[in-house]
Amino acid sequence: MSALRFYLVLYGVALKARAEYRADFAVGVFTAAVMQLAALSFYWIIFSRVQSLGGFSPASVLFLFGVTAMILGLSELFLNGIWLVPWYVMTGEMDRLLVYPVSSLAFVLFARPELHSLGNLTTGLVVVLLSWHMAPPPLVAMILLPVWVVSGAVIYTSLLVIAGCLSFGAVGPWAQHYMVVQHVLNAARYPVSIYPRWLQIVMLAVLPIATASFVPCAWLAGRGPLWEAIVVPVGAAGAIGVFSSWLWRRAIQGYQSSGS
Amino acid sequence: VALRHPRLRDAFWGFVALADKTARAKLTYRFSTLMAFVANGVGYAVFLLVWLEVYRENPRGAALPRRVMIPYLVAAFVLNSVLTLSVELRFMQRLRQGLITVDLIRPMGFLGVQMAQAVGDVVVNVILALPLVVVAAVVLGADVLPEHGHDVVLAAVSAVLAFAVQFGVSYLIVQATFVLQSGYGVMFTRLSLHQVFSGLAAPLVAFPAPLRAVASWLPFRHVIETPVLLWLGQVAPAEAARLLLMQAAWALALIGAGMALFGAALRRHEIQGG
Repeated sequence: MSALRFYLVLYGVALKARAEYRADFAVGVFTAAVMQLAALSFYWIIFSRVQSLGGFSPASVLFLFGVTAMILGLSELFLNGIWLVPWYVMTGEMDRLLVYPVSSLAFVLFARPELHSLGNLTTGLVVVLLSWHMAPPPLVAMILLPVWVVSGAVIYTSLLVIAGCLSFGAVGPWAQHYMVVQHVLNAARYPVSIYPRWLQIVMLAVLPIATASFVPCAWLAGRGPLWEAIVVPVGAAGAIGVFSSWLWRRAIQGYQSSGS
Repeated sequence: VALRHPRLRDAFWGFVALADKTARAKLTYRFSTLMAFVANGVGYAVFLLVWLEVYRENPRGAALPRRVMIPYLVAAFVLNSVLTLSVELRFMQRLRQGLITVDLIRPMGFLGVQMAQAVGDVVVNVILALPLVVVAAVVLGADVLPEHGHDVVLAAVSAVLAFAVQFGVSYLIVQATFVLQSGYGVMFTRLSLHQVFSGLAAPLVAFPAPLRAVASWLPFRHVIETPVLLWLGQVAPAEAARLLLMQAAWALALIGAGMALFGAALRRHEIQGG
């Protein structure tokens, strides 16, 4: 069996296992929609007070909301297993995973899809379409949307992998350190230009999650060239993806086993 | 042989001991506990930065002057950090491992066990929040501190009731988790509703009218907005009494509903793990 086929089978089985619990699936999709609506209510509060935010129109900010929801949804649908690493480490399950003759990172990532991701993906797409209804984009934006979302999902998941590497050193039952990454993604719902300079650098260069949302948004708002909206998200995804998988291998090498 | 209920004094010391052990367990996992606090802070900084931009764009457009809004947001963050409970997370973990059987047979009762652990959460949160309070007081000065002594008393009573409301909502989520394979869905729904309707991101007066109407009918505002407004002395005495009564009513209703559902949830539950 080729590696690709192995991961496809693994993912398919994991998906079936998750789909078995129908009530959980329904609750999960509902939850995801509620989470996005909750975020949008703050958007509503803000735009009932101002005409623009950091010079960006309500349609532009709505686009940022939609893209970040889609990024979250895509990562949760395909690469969600990283959230379970603290649990694997604490229970000793990680030792078993490490003796499998496959990439431990890929195995972890594909082993636990979250079906509520469909709620985030759908809500995100609806919000993006709504923003494009308010401010119609050029046709090329519709072609580039999957590129931005996939790049964003790779960046977001890579940041979670980097956070996951901490779980090998600081053993604990909960994945609270991952929530820092999730909040950084949430921060990308707003134009990064409203943040202090140092935070802009963090979100565009160090933890480059805003490259997949803000850079395209800036191009759509006429504040940046098209090439940036293509090259920057893809380049950032490639760079952080390579770095996170290198860091994972280093962390695994230093892992001394734990659990009971 | 039927187990006797513990005497009130024993039940009290059992409650204190369990709260103490929970706090110690949280302090043992220092990294997780600290990261939860940091994550809260990062999430909240976004709200704060967005509001600062709103005041830059439209200094008079917000519902409250900046010198009132910023202390409100800081106080709301501190209170939210203190009242962040791990009731659902802890329950889900024990449910998955089958350890819930131990909680079900404890003499102080399931509700008492959960509440004692929630008190343990608060103790650790207070320790972590104290430096933040000092920094806020130094940076914002008198704006973030109560003007009168009675504001402190009212806010303290309200904070205790806010804990009861927060715990009541979490305890309801625990009941839902009994019948679901994973409780993450309902827990995140609760967190999302809390984020919007508690007044964490803004006091209700800043909400658009329809959103404010919905928020005023839900319990979440009594977790954050009510105690913070009382702390900052922004509530008239008659209104303060009404708000405290509302908080108490919500706390009783939520915990009562949780207790009522507990029996039904337990009948459907199958113990797993081991």
